[in-house]
Amino acid sequence: MPFFRRVLPAILCWIVAITLLHMWVNLGSFTPKSGSGGSAAPFRVGFIPVTCHLTCPVTHFINDSLQEESNFEPIRFSAWPELKEAFLSEHLEATFILAPMAMALREQGVPLKIVYLGHRDGTTMMVHKDSSIRRIEDLRGKTIAVPNRFSNQRLIVFRAMRERNIPMSQVKLLEMPPPDMPAALQVKAVDAIISGEPFMAQTEMDGYGRILFLTKDVWPDFISCVLAVHEKTIRDRRADVQNLVDGIASSGKWLDQSPKHRMDAAEFTGKNYYHQDPALLSFVLSKPPDRVKYTNLRVLRKDFEEIEALALEAGVLSGKVKFDDYADPSFVPDEASIKPRNWELP
Amino acid sequence: MTLISTWSPPPGLSTETSLPSIAPRVSWAAFWLPVAVGLGFLLFWDAAVRFSGSELFPKPLDVGRGLLELGQKGLLFKYIIASLFRVTWGFGLAALVGVPIGLVLGWYPFAHAAFNPLIQAFRPISPIAWIPVAILWFGVSDAAPIFLIFLASVFPIMVSAMAAVQNVQAVQIRAARNFGLSSGELFRKVILPATLPQILTGLRIALGVAWLVVVAAEMIAVNSGLGYLIIDSRNAGKRYDLVVAGMVLIGVIGWLLDLAMRQVERFPSVKWAYGNRGE
Repeated sequence: MPFFRRVLPAILCWIVAITLLHMWVNLGSFTPKSGSGGSAAPFRVGFIPVTCHLTCPVTHFINDSLQEESNFEPIRFSAWPELKEAFLSEHLEATFILAPMAMALREQGVPLKIVYLGHRDGTTMMVHKDSSIRRIEDLRGKTIAVPNRFSNQRLIVFRAMRERNIPMSQVKLLEMPPPDMPAALQVKAVDAIISGEPFMAQTEMDGYGRILFLTKDVWPDFISCVLAVHEKTIRDRRADVQNLVDGIASSGKWLDQSPKHRMDAAEFTGKNYYHQDPALLSFVLSKPPDRVKYTNLRVLRKDFEEIEALALEAGVLSGKVKFDDYADPSFVPDEASIKPRNWELP
Repeated sequence: MTLISTWSPPPGLSTETSLPSIAPRVSWAAFWLPVAVGLGFLLFWDAAVRFSGSELFPKPLDVGRGLLELGQKGLLFKYIIASLFRVTWGFGLAALVGVPIGLVLGWYPFAHAAFNPLIQAFRPISPIAWIPVAILWFGVSDAAPIFLIFLASVFPIMVSAMAAVQNVQAVQIRAARNFGLSSGELFRKVILPATLPQILTGLRIALGVAWLVVVAAEMIAVNSGLGYLIIDSRNAGKRYDLVVAGMVLIGVIGWLLDLAMRQVERFPSVKWAYGNRGE
């Protein structure tokens, strides 16, 4: 048929053209590969563009800048469910993940180990600047947006309410993706929002958000995200896991070494990894300087036992697994032995 | 009054050798009316944002500046290519699989009775619900969004091909048999020409659906595409100008794709089925 004689060649030309263009502009298939990485199997680590995971891109950027032989490949996700599924299906060797989510996965039979923390603190509860909420007690009868049922941001609300003898039935918790929280607060769709940064700082910078509390004031040394690795990966690729943990630990120390390092990290991470305004990340990393911390990230039993108890109360864990089941602190036996990366932004 | 000139049906199949021009003749009103409506919509949008006093929702000019910024960074071209690549492959594979299966199921009542309930059960499942499966099976490569686009478009294609075969007049098939046509000839000379218009309508609808799910498909850990642009901009703080820019691009390119599909419908071997009321 003349129809097929005219249409099919055009369709074939389109398929070839669009495939070659995609390979050229997006996959870089026609660009010679740089030396770093070598022929070793990639070690893929999932992260989300929140400051809780900042050490992941910082480690990668410094490795690249020093042209170190490394197979470490950070993979950026936009939301928790996709990140979790990619990890479960073993398309990621390791991932930054919410601490209670990792513990719940272990409880559900996923053989993983928490080997290091992502950060300490770094979460804020915000209310609208016009809100009558001035203290935690004022949250009675209010709606609070939390990022996920398996988040420590939800557990901190349980902790704060318990300390004030306020039953949880008197507050309404609403799960909401953190990127949607600033808009929800601005239009007063919710009374308070709590998540990792920089989404909370965004409301402060734009002038409609007011800090109700920083986690460091309510739950000192708060942990939100951890680095989780498959047990199989620890068994088969222990050296790679050790390299990753060493890199993340020393990058964390580098971040906390000086305000300049933090500003540099805000600049290159915002532009190259997070696609966020570097000024926003600078704000999070400096106002106040201890809003989020990247040292003292060793996995400690007492921290996780507290999370376990709260998660049990919140109904996200059943108490079947204990610290030794889901944690492996052996990669950093001594926090003092970690030295900051010896690197400055050129 | 019709806006596009009407087309007279060909006296016979021989007209296939002298194809009429497939470019439409567009009247003055057909061009300026939509332009005027478009401009009116932009003015209404701008006024609505100013009136509401919203600091978050962007005005049309903000979106224009956002598009310019994407263009200057070279991202606009990259993202459009990435989305078109995924839709091309997802939709192309769906057509390759859906049309033959639909024709077979439409031709053999036994096969239709066996498989139709399963197809109808799969059809209403949203591609978003398939995201976990796509990640578990295909990981974080281009294959996962292509799979989602494939799933979204394969069922409309299959169902339209199936219905097209079932709609072929029995008298046409009997006449062909009386002329002694073999099964292969019957397919090439009767079934295929008779079903082509309805199959193309199904493909046109499916292409719209495939483009519609590009945002959901690119929620998976890809780092390019117009769907990714929307999701990435939501993560980037207050960049709702880029969110809306992504929406505008998806809308405009979707419209252009539909226009391209409509050009295919102008071929005489297809157009006979659409009557002569023009557009």
